[in-house]
Amino acid sequence: MTPKNNIIIGIIIALLVVASYNVDANPVDFVEGLPNLGVVLEEMVSVEPKYIPTALWAMFETIQMAFIGTTVGVAIALPLSMFAARNLNSKYVYAPIRALLAAIRTFPSILWAILFVIMVGLGPFAGVLAIIMYTIGFVAKLQYEAIETIDSDPMDAVSSIGVSKWQLIRYVVIPESASHLLSQMLYMFDYNVRQTSILGLVGAGGIGFYIINYIKFFEYGKAAIFMVVVLVAVLVIDWVSVKIRDKYIIKSQHGMEVTAKSK
Amino acid sequence: MIQIQMTKNPSFSLISTNKIIQMNDVWTSYDSKNFALEGINMSIDRGTNYAIAGQSGSGKSTLLKLMNGMMIPSKGTIKIDYVTPNMNNKKFKKMMHSIGYIPQSLGLVRNSTVLENILIGSLPRLNKIQSLFKKFPEPEIQEAKKIISQVGLSGKEDRKAYMLSGGEKRRVAIARALMQKPTILLADEIVSELDHVTAREIMDLIADAQKRMNLTAIMVHHDMQLALEYANRVAVIKEGQKILEIGVEGETIVDFQTGDMSTEEIMEMYADDTQK
Ligand SMILES: Nc1ncnc2c1ncn2[C@@H]1O[C@H](COP(=O)(O)OP(=O)(O)OP(=O)(O)O)[C@@H](O)[C@H]1O
Ligand SMILES: [Mg+2]
Repeated sequence: MTPKNNIIIGIIIALLVVASYNVDANPVDFVEGLPNLGVVLEEMVSVEPKYIPTALWAMFETIQMAFIGTTVGVAIALPLSMFAARNLNSKYVYAPIRALLAAIRTFPSILWAILFVIMVGLGPFAGVLAIIMYTIGFVAKLQYEAIETIDSDPMDAVSSIGVSKWQLIRYVVIPESASHLLSQMLYMFDYNVRQTSILGLVGAGGIGFYIINYIKFFEYGKAAIFMVVVLVAVLVIDWVSVKIRDKYIIKSQHGMEVTAKSK
Repeated sequence: MIQIQMTKNPSFSLISTNKIIQMNDVWTSYDSKNFALEGINMSIDRGTNYAIAGQSGSGKSTLLKLMNGMMIPSKGTIKIDYVTPNMNNKKFKKMMHSIGYIPQSLGLVRNSTVLENILIGSLPRLNKIQSLFKKFPEPEIQEAKKIISQVGLSGKEDRKAYMLSGGEKRRVAIARALMQKPTILLADEIVSELDHVTAREIMDLIADAQKRMNLTAIMVHHDMQLALEYANRVAVIKEGQKILEIGVEGETIVDFQTGDMSTEEIMEMYADDTQK
């Protein structure tokens, strides 16, 4: 370890201590609070089983919200990404679209949810709208970046035939970036399920709505049951999307590598 | 064939010669400092099997990119079928439909199938709705299948391009170009990386198509041997300049030009000098 590294590590530790003091983060409080978890666990076991179907239903609602949000968001993001890609458009087209997307991304989904609750009232619809906005902002960015990394060879070869820009998009850009898109959709859905789970905190529907209400009334056991359902659901979705990714995406990307090597 | 061309395009009938490509003192560069080509003069007759040979970095690929309008000369003039290549020119854009270009890297769409890649060559003949929904007319699909069997890819129609061997990829790229129903075929070192047997198979394939469709084939080669074997004319490029042009008929050299001038032109220049 060089002295320079020691100084850097020292600085980081010092910053940690100062920041912890400022935000009141005290490890002792954490340890002293551990027994409280036991209490929650005890309460959880004593919760009547009739709440479990409610929890499952709430989770199902959450997943549906995430599904609509992801699908509609991606459907809107895809054309936007075509206009935002530098290799397909002039500056006057891509610059404003990118600025708009950047603006959309500055809001975390929970702020979008608050905004839409004000607009359309409490309930899942506000949550769906929030997820749509969040998805547009992120997927469009990921997708235009994917489009910009497409190999320029097929683009040049096909445009030298004199095809229209739309034909170029349809027959080169989309096939060459489709595996990225599928992977982004899976990732985004996964992420959106987690996000949707907390949108209920601001009244935008989903399972979080139950959790926050139980917490408000000190019914920690019930809240914990609902949280466990979220945990299990997220794990299952994660596992399924890994399977899908392995089956469809790894295969084609491996093929790309081989092609790239053979020039 | 040539006559049909002329009646189709009455404006051309006024021009007696039949030069499909004419380059006059063409200079071009990728950056402002170095020229990739320096004063190229070139004139190619319709129906020729023309080869461009030269060392790596001599400017062969650049020369082809000028012929399909992907690059614009910084100085000098180019005429392709008597039209100046320019992507913004409607007339040339239409012409691009019938210029088959096979880049050094082939430019296949990796995640599309052999058939889909080949059908791309027919896109200029599709209307908006057909191309949006990938609804290729039946005759186009039949044509594609015919070409697939000509290039020896039968049974591999539905294979993704990234799963093909190097030789098969080249066949797909040739088929895509033939699907354009081209009048000019530009091919950039498409056999350089292949073994001799496969390289000859592919060259035969192009030679066959060239005769059958009365194509003007302009092919870049690394290997002078292949160039002399297959072409009627061979130009040699060195450091951005054309140093030699040879006309071949069978085993005999029928025409031999050095530098950017024919021996006749050199004689003429001398004659001009002495007159002064
Ligand atoms: N995209 C580019 N940007 C800048 N310079 C380039 C580019 N492409 C080619 N050049 C330069 O232009 C010159 C001619 O290149 P070109 O690709 O035409 O050579 P080539 O004869 O086709 O070589 P090879 O046989 O290796 O393919 C070279 O000096 C090369 O470095
Ligand atoms: Mg080259």
